[in-house]
Amino acid sequence: MTQIPFVESPERQSLRQEVRKLASSYGREYFVRQARNGEKTTELWQDIAKHGYLGVSIPEEYGGGGGGIGDLAAVLEELAAAGSPLLMMVVSPAICGTVITRFGTDEQKRRWLPGIADGSFTMAFAITEPDAGSNSHRITTTARRDADGWVLKGRKIYISGVDEAQAVLVVARTEDAKTGSLKPCLFVVPTDAAGFEYQPIEMEILSPEKQFSVFIDDVHLPADALVGDEDAGLLQLFAGLNPERIMASAFATGMARLALEQAVEYAKTRQVFKTPIGAHQAIAHPLAESHVEVELARLMTQKAAALYDAGEDMAAGEAANMAKFASADAVCKAADRAVQTLGGNGLTVEYGVASLLTASRLSRIAPVSREMILNFVSSFSLGLPKSY
Amino acid sequence: MNIVVCVKYVPDATGDRKFESDNTVDREGVDGLLSELDEYAVEQSLQLKEKLGSDGGDSEVTVLTIGPAGAVDAIRKALQMGADKGVHVQDDAIAGSDAFATSLVLAEAVKKLPHDLVVCGMASTDGGMGVVPAMLSERLGLPGATLGSSIELDGQTLKIRRDGDTATVTVEATLPAVLSVTDQSGEARYPSFKGIMAAKKKPVETWSLADLGVDAGQVGLEASYTAVEETQARPPRTAGEIVKDEDGSGAKALVDFLVSKKFV
Ligand SMILES: Cc1cc2nc3c(=O)[nH]c(=O)nc-3n(C[C@H](O)[C@H](O)[C@H](O)COP(=O)(O)OP(=O)(O)OC[C@H]3O[C@@H](n4cnc5c(N)ncnc54)[C@H](O)[C@@H]3O)c2cc1C
Repeated sequence: MTQIPFVESPERQSLRQEVRKLASSYGREYFVRQARNGEKTTELWQDIAKHGYLGVSIPEEYGGGGGGIGDLAAVLEELAAAGSPLLMMVVSPAICGTVITRFGTDEQKRRWLPGIADGSFTMAFAITEPDAGSNSHRITTTARRDADGWVLKGRKIYISGVDEAQAVLVVARTEDAKTGSLKPCLFVVPTDAAGFEYQPIEMEILSPEKQFSVFIDDVHLPADALVGDEDAGLLQLFAGLNPERIMASAFATGMARLALEQAVEYAKTRQVFKTPIGAHQAIAHPLAESHVEVELARLMTQKAAALYDAGEDMAAGEAANMAKFASADAVCKAADRAVQTLGGNGLTVEYGVASLLTASRLSRIAPVSREMILNFVSSFSLGLPKSY
Repeated sequence: MNIVVCVKYVPDATGDRKFESDNTVDREGVDGLLSELDEYAVEQSLQLKEKLGSDGGDSEVTVLTIGPAGAVDAIRKALQMGADKGVHVQDDAIAGSDAFATSLVLAEAVKKLPHDLVVCGMASTDGGMGVVPAMLSERLGLPGATLGSSIELDGQTLKIRRDGDTATVTVEATLPAVLSVTDQSGEARYPSFKGIMAAKKKPVETWSLADLGVDAGQVGLEASYTAVEETQARPPRTAGEIVKDEDGSGAKALVDFLVSKKFV
């Protein structure tokens, strides 16, 4: 197995610094303003893309940086830490970019990757269904062959950013899969295809990116809308889901850093008795504990990314799940503690910490819930019997 | 065309600034980085190189810095932005040098490099006097076009615009020349991801005073003409005063404040 160092390379650290600096020039205010006004953070998306930070993990021959998921995760974490995360990075370059890079034909790569890398083409990702939820073995979106390609039918829910995407990578199953076991196939569906419709779901999350219910009603697709092998879909799906988990972890640890930074800043200056409140251990220790939790989660995220980039898919999968679990818990606690540290100000719009409470909860639910990760660790890592 | 850009590694201005017992800046305990004002010099050097393209032979941008071991980070950043190679003059004897001594070392290093144009920032962001570019041109015996806020190169003629408080002057110099640029010359670029990765493989040489033929007695704190007598910590940040405008008296309160502080 590849030797993986415990600390990131100087180049990775430089990348973090530059992204942090660029994102800070936009700042949390920009993100909040755009989200509250129902606007997107397109300028930041394009700016990040312009410097090659969005396409870091796409191969150089298709316009990317030729780096790995570790680089992409570093970019997202720094954006989140600066208060302006870009949720669509989790799906467009990380899931879709990876799946197409690994399993697409040359023609498919040429068609989609350059746009994903330079930010001009955004691809959403749709696996979740109303009746399947965490149980992706139950998805019913179906692909049927017709004379010149495929006909797709089904429903998806909570799909992020469909309104800003030119296409969606849809997880469906082929119609002849009678066994009931998951035989997923991945299709690229243009968002303007006839029969493809979507409606926003009102969410209590302060975010420029929205979630949608998607209705796929006999959408006709050309034969080459299928990415990868019809019979090896599960493997290909996981190739995309591990980067997704790593990115979700980076999103969470970045947001946790933001919450902690705000809390620490406040605790240093706010004084109601003899000393700043940060001198009271009741305030200091929970923040210190959060710092430890965040650093541990970051380390696991980096390990998962390093394993993934080294081609160790199995080991990466286990690490990515654990990283996602640790990061989600870390950010939820950090947000909770930040609010408590700020007292009444913790719930004001002005300080903006309260909005992290709902936003951080997302990390425990998506892309895979805390419970499903514990199920995985119980059976896969510990060998315990399954309940389902 | 060969461009040498002189850059300085300075303590991060966002961190706490500390001084040693001899009143030199404490560079050990703080994170350092490429001086922000020198980023403009790197940017202009790269733009000149890009404008020249490949006609007139390939241009090369060499980053030159004097500083402790960590100063290689400043070179690295310039290489990430797009410079071609680096020279790091590192020698314990240089520590504490003033502008006079610094310009001597820089001049000797520049002499060892092919140079049509030497580019500097307008001043450093730590102990800044802003005189090194002028001293450097004097020591090299080259024309000095300093404080340029817009830079043009026409063949062998360098043309800059220097913005003063009351007038704007255009300065021309024939190459080889020394140029310094201001923070108005154009935003410095962020290194691209490819730039960051490529910098890893770019050559950086380390030179000592002996390599330059400079006698250690001519530089360092002892040999410096200027001496820092005293330093004072930045005053702590005070809470400030928030002017609330509930009954229309806000504007007056604001003006009174500005007048009391002699801002207007
Ligand atoms: C903001 C947001 C953005 C999203 N973006 C996307 C997207 O872009 N694309 C996409 O495809 N999906 C997206 N999702 C969907 C997300 O991946 C799902 O919400 C998630 O997988 C959970 O599924 P569910 O909501 O149906 O919950 P359910 O599966 O109904 O689960 C409900 C609860 O039951 C628990 N539970 C279920 N089964 C078990 C079990 N066997 N053992 C123990 N506990 C169990 C779960 O852990 C959870 O706590 C998004 C969701 C959100 C909130």
